[in-house]
Amino acid sequence: MTHKLQGNVHESNLFQSKTTIWWITFSLLCGATFLTRYYKVLEPDHVCWDETHFGKMASWYINRTFFFDVHPPLGKMLIALSGKLSGYDGTFPFEKPGDKYDGARYQGMRLFCTTLGALVIPLTFLSIWEMTKSLEATFIGTLLLLCDVGFMTLNRYILLDPILLFFMSCSIYGCFKVSTLTNDGLLPFSPRMLSWQIFLGTSLACTMSVKFVGLFVVLFVGLRTVADLWNILGDLSKPVKFTITHLIVRTLTLIVWPFVLYVFFFWIHLTVLSKSGNGDGFYSSGFQARLEGNSLHNASAPRVLAYGALVTLKNHRTGGGYLHSHHHLYPAGVGARQQQITTYTHKDENNRWQIKPYNRERVEGTVVVRSGDLVRVTHAPTGRNLHSHRERAPLTAKHLQVTGYGEDGVGDANDVWKIVISGGKDGEEIQTVRSKLMLVHYLQACVLTTTGKQLPKWGYEQQEVSCNPNLRDKNALWNIEDNVFDDLPKVSFESYASGFLERFYESHAVMFQGNSGLKPKEGEVTSQPWQWPINYRGQFFSGSTHRIYLLGNPVVWWTNLAFLIIFFLVYIINSIKEKRAEAFGVSRQVGEGSLLLNAAGWTFIGWALHYIPFWAMGRVLYFHHYFPALVFSSMLTGILTEYLLSSVRSYLSPELGKTAYHCIIGVVISTTVYSFYLFSPLAYGMSGPLASEPNSTMAGLKWLESWEF
Amino acid sequence: MLTNKMNHSPSRIYLQLKIDVIAIGLLILALCTRLYKLDEPRHIVFDELHYGRYVSLYTKGVFFFDAHPPLGKQLLYLAGSIAGYDGNFTFDRIGTPYTDNVPVKALRLVPAVSGSFLVLITYFLMLELSLHQWTAILAALLVLLENCFLAQSRFMLLESIQILFGLCGVYCIIKSTKRIGLTALVWLCAAAVLLGCCFSVKYSGLYTYYLSLFLVGRHIWLQLDQIKSGTRLLFSALWRFAVLLIIPLAVYVSVFYMHLSMLPKAGPHDSVMTSAFQASLQGGLASITHGQPLHVAHGSQITLRHTHGRTCWLHSHAHVYPVRYADGRGSSHQQQVTCYSFKDVNNWWIVKRPDQASLAVSRPPDAIRHGDIVQLLHGITSRALNSHDVAAAVSPQSQEVSCYIDYNVSMPAQNLWRVDIVNRDSEESTWDSIRSLVRLVHVDTGSGLRYSGRQLPAWGFHQHEIVADKVLSHQDTIWNVEEHRYTKADDRKERERELVTAEMIPTAVTQLTFWEKFTELQYKMIAHAPDAPHGHMFASEPAEWPLLVRSIAYWLSPDSNAQIHLIGNIVTWYTGTISVVVYSALLAIYSVRKRRACEDLPPFVLNKFYETGYTLFLGYWLHYLPYFFIDRTLFLHHYLPAYIFKILLLAYIMDHIYLVLQLHEKTKHVTNLFILCVTIWLSYIVLTFKKFSVLNYGNVDLKENDLMSLRWKDTWDFILHKKI
Repeated sequence: MTHKLQGNVHESNLFQSKTTIWWITFSLLCGATFLTRYYKVLEPDHVCWDETHFGKMASWYINRTFFFDVHPPLGKMLIALSGKLSGYDGTFPFEKPGDKYDGARYQGMRLFCTTLGALVIPLTFLSIWEMTKSLEATFIGTLLLLCDVGFMTLNRYILLDPILLFFMSCSIYGCFKVSTLTNDGLLPFSPRMLSWQIFLGTSLACTMSVKFVGLFVVLFVGLRTVADLWNILGDLSKPVKFTITHLIVRTLTLIVWPFVLYVFFFWIHLTVLSKSGNGDGFYSSGFQARLEGNSLHNASAPRVLAYGALVTLKNHRTGGGYLHSHHHLYPAGVGARQQQITTYTHKDENNRWQIKPYNRERVEGTVVVRSGDLVRVTHAPTGRNLHSHRERAPLTAKHLQVTGYGEDGVGDANDVWKIVISGGKDGEEIQTVRSKLMLVHYLQACVLTTTGKQLPKWGYEQQEVSCNPNLRDKNALWNIEDNVFDDLPKVSFESYASGFLERFYESHAVMFQGNSGLKPKEGEVTSQPWQWPINYRGQFFSGSTHRIYLLGNPVVWWTNLAFLIIFFLVYIINSIKEKRAEAFGVSRQVGEGSLLLNAAGWTFIGWALHYIPFWAMGRVLYFHHYFPALVFSSMLTGILTEYLLSSVRSYLSPELGKTAYHCIIGVVISTTVYSFYLFSPLAYGMSGPLASEPNSTMAGLKWLESWEF
Repeated sequence: MLTNKMNHSPSRIYLQLKIDVIAIGLLILALCTRLYKLDEPRHIVFDELHYGRYVSLYTKGVFFFDAHPPLGKQLLYLAGSIAGYDGNFTFDRIGTPYTDNVPVKALRLVPAVSGSFLVLITYFLMLELSLHQWTAILAALLVLLENCFLAQSRFMLLESIQILFGLCGVYCIIKSTKRIGLTALVWLCAAAVLLGCCFSVKYSGLYTYYLSLFLVGRHIWLQLDQIKSGTRLLFSALWRFAVLLIIPLAVYVSVFYMHLSMLPKAGPHDSVMTSAFQASLQGGLASITHGQPLHVAHGSQITLRHTHGRTCWLHSHAHVYPVRYADGRGSSHQQQVTCYSFKDVNNWWIVKRPDQASLAVSRPPDAIRHGDIVQLLHGITSRALNSHDVAAAVSPQSQEVSCYIDYNVSMPAQNLWRVDIVNRDSEESTWDSIRSLVRLVHVDTGSGLRYSGRQLPAWGFHQHEIVADKVLSHQDTIWNVEEHRYTKADDRKERERELVTAEMIPTAVTQLTFWEKFTELQYKMIAHAPDAPHGHMFASEPAEWPLLVRSIAYWLSPDSNAQIHLIGNIVTWYTGTISVVVYSALLAIYSVRKRRACEDLPPFVLNKFYETGYTLFLGYWLHYLPYFFIDRTLFLHHYLPAYIFKILLLAYIMDHIYLVLQLHEKTKHVTNLFILCVTIWLSYIVLTFKKFSVLNYGNVDLKENDLMSLRWKDTWDFILHKKI
């Protein structure tokens, strides 16, 4: 009896001392994190690298002017909020990297980003702990991330990455927490379970709303959730209903709730940016009507189009301009020497056109133009008709040339166009702004379109307009924007303005188009995915006297790389061993080892999900795209080190094993910390000659030819 | 089964003939449909334009470059040469009528016969997957009655050849996994040869190869807990993978070996290849460079070619950079240096050591070696190649390169360049014409001479820009000497005359080993970015394929509305798509039921569902999914290799439903109903096939009404001649 009691006391003592050690380690790492992150955080006091973009965007949020960007809004809104709260007034221009801040209050924004970036480290600690319950694995994994110079550099400036990484780490932590709770058998509706799931859902929504690469973490959590549900399903002691309840709760918290949040962030974004700015041109007329200061705001025009009306025609393609013509001819050698027709993105008197029936100059009274009508379109300032004929377009060989032809509206049969509402029926009235129109050339059966290609100097670098024989051209849609006709009652543009959901949808269409438009140009050096894990080349953040170079700590990165390969081997060997064991009728044993290997497997999946898709991407890639994968990779290294060490230990005698184990752990820690010390000038700023010269302080550290510091 | 027994002589030798009537029947049906009026239309149909052109070039032995591997084209050539084609027909555009010297029938026979055997192999493959004979017949009929396979088999196109090789390969793999010992080895070797052929026809055949690798890998995995002896297991795994790796690779390499040895003459596509490659062909560059000195020395006159990517030569002319560019930046106002895509006297440069004055080549020549510092004088203007810290015209992030003019301003000449030979054997290696790949590194700034890929505006005559760039590792910094001769006269006027009137006396031939040629051709094929027109009228997206949104117009008769389209049999097509969905759904349902330990189906049915089903299901996705990540103009015919697996899956699903219905007493009487449904559905397929076959044979003039009645989806575009 007393014996047992003593045992209990002993155990609880052990437990207590373990918790104490846990807390000591945790606070030690946190302390180190904040020390390293906040040290010299306000230097250099000039714009570094992409701060020029995100700082500018923060200013726009503060000034509420509308702009266009390929990323979703949450990250930039948070930066703006932190700037606003810390007294930044949105007046600094953020023109180019290297501009001195000169009293602009950038400190708040930078500290905010740095803080979020620093919090990634404790979150990683908690995540690994949640997965493995092994303090050694947790400690090594976190230390690697803490001592990575590149990770620190990236997380210390006004960028989206610290925010993204923070929310991503929250998602990872939440995901494994939910998983543990599920394994502990918590009921789906228990408050603890619910609150963690809502935390996870919120983090997912935030990650997605900072950058679209957040999608990968959503996939990761999705896989993990499916695995959890699969485990629940396999528990035959519980009814199927139990799994279904779990499924329903997860759908609500991990799909519906994040989606609502995501839409909500866009709602804030669109509400805050209420003034017209430089991004207007990317959006449709209906969208622009919502922006204060835009010429479409509070304007009014007739609801339908009538013969004789003066109109402007806006192309429906993203960033498409107005149909335009001017008093200049196509130069010799470019088709017929007739008047140029282009699209032009600015508002101008030369964008005005008049719609007439194909066979008469004038119509008595008010006759509404209907879909399917044959019309002539006359350029109001010059009196030439929109015309096309069998000549090749100036830039696109397969299309026909479009010109302005005739005198004062008198031309020939090639001026006749059939006006059609896309997806509409013949005879429908053509409406201002709302109708998507196609102009089909009557004789050549081609459709008026813009190719988006810039004309050379003779065309004032406006965009080419041509007639495409392929009627399925997606760029061939136009809409009426201005519509001047006095005999019809005017309707306020308010009624055309897009509703929130339309604008939400349109912003996405524009963002995706912008994203896929980011293609590397011929001959341009771009970063390639194979270069990332080997830390092949970095990225200058700041030049001149205070040089900062984004480059991973090679010791950390190359160890990570080696452990990825080791994991692959260990996993394959292990699977074969298990399968072989079945041949001899030996069942596999479940121990701490398999828990660690399982956790390592999940981090490996996370790494692969955040890295491999980049291979299939056609857009411009940058070195910093690898950092989310790095988080997983470091976790994997930590976990696998512990796994390997404990396997080695099991072969040795307890005494020897213990010594070897502690020695190796000691070596690992000291190497990592020392390498951080060596490479820290990359992040804290270097001055003096470049490392390629022998008298530089960094000369001995240029381990690869391709590093440029 | 029909057995013929023939008694020849008293020694009683038996010749036993066994004929599989069903197989023969299917083959005859297939041959009838595929070979019917094969030489009609006697016009160039769709991609016959390309493949026909390649056959002509093979016949003449003229080198050409194509991004696809050569086996398919070689087979076409074989048929052509047997039929006596002389190669004298210019394949200029789709729709041109063939002249009498083109053996159209013979050339089209190869794909047509392959397409017919495709029907046969589906039958055997389905039998081998241990399915019911009726299922196998169904699958074969579905392939037989598929308009898209019919259209693709009747012209000089490669898909039917590729698919035939692929399916035969898979068939042999499955045979091999079911046998042991020597038979398994023989089947596996056969499979390896066929698979090698498959991806030597088109690279998309690699997906079939991956499927086979997976099948073999899985077979070994399943053996892991069956065989006790570890060494036997290891041995069996090793020889399987060795066979599957080595043989296909050997086939691939030997196909290229034949390709290169069949094409010894220089031709129109030469400029894609490097100088060394071109010089190894007969005629062309070789006739110019024969007999030129090997080692570049002080006083050498050379042309420098941009080695990889666009073909152009380092060029300069007596025009200067404009003082101010359009965007307001200033320039050095010195003589322009460009990259020019045509041969020109202004492409000649003279190599000079900085410390020597005379330009005549001494005896023995003072050869330039790796690491030497040289100057490059432009031959006609005698100005030295120079670079300095001025932003380049079009790529301002790099340095401008110019020919130095001394304006007597505080801008000294920086005209020293270090010769960095990339493919050197030793540190002492000499700079050889054609063979050496060099990087010219600017001594003062450490930047490399580079082709930037951008074009200069009108003031630079739209030639390509040359810059000096800090990043040396880019492949656009690599150059090689193409034409080369030694300067004889020291006088400038003499030199110019020499340049303009030079003539070469051939003495030696450049030789490249097969491996050098092979690796270069591989590299170019991979790096080659096809400039297929974006926004082709009949291009389609992968996501549109399963619903047959678009067809492809192959040909339109010049004098009637008879036309040929690649279009599927829409009934098969849609049921096929449904079958993929059904299989996925069943897969999910069965897994969940199994997880809950519910046994609905007997193990043998379930086993077949997994074993057979996943082969076809995986085959489908392996051939389909990658296209989502390919950034190129895609067409419906890219879907065909995936589609055949879908048809097989469809037949399998029918088989499975029938089996499940058979299992239970309650549903047994429904089976007859099911068979009736299948029959009705099949007759529907026959009708559709017949209706649309006018678009495959292209021998019937179609009226507007006929075309409208065929236009079952309004996204299909048929062509009508304008009424005059």
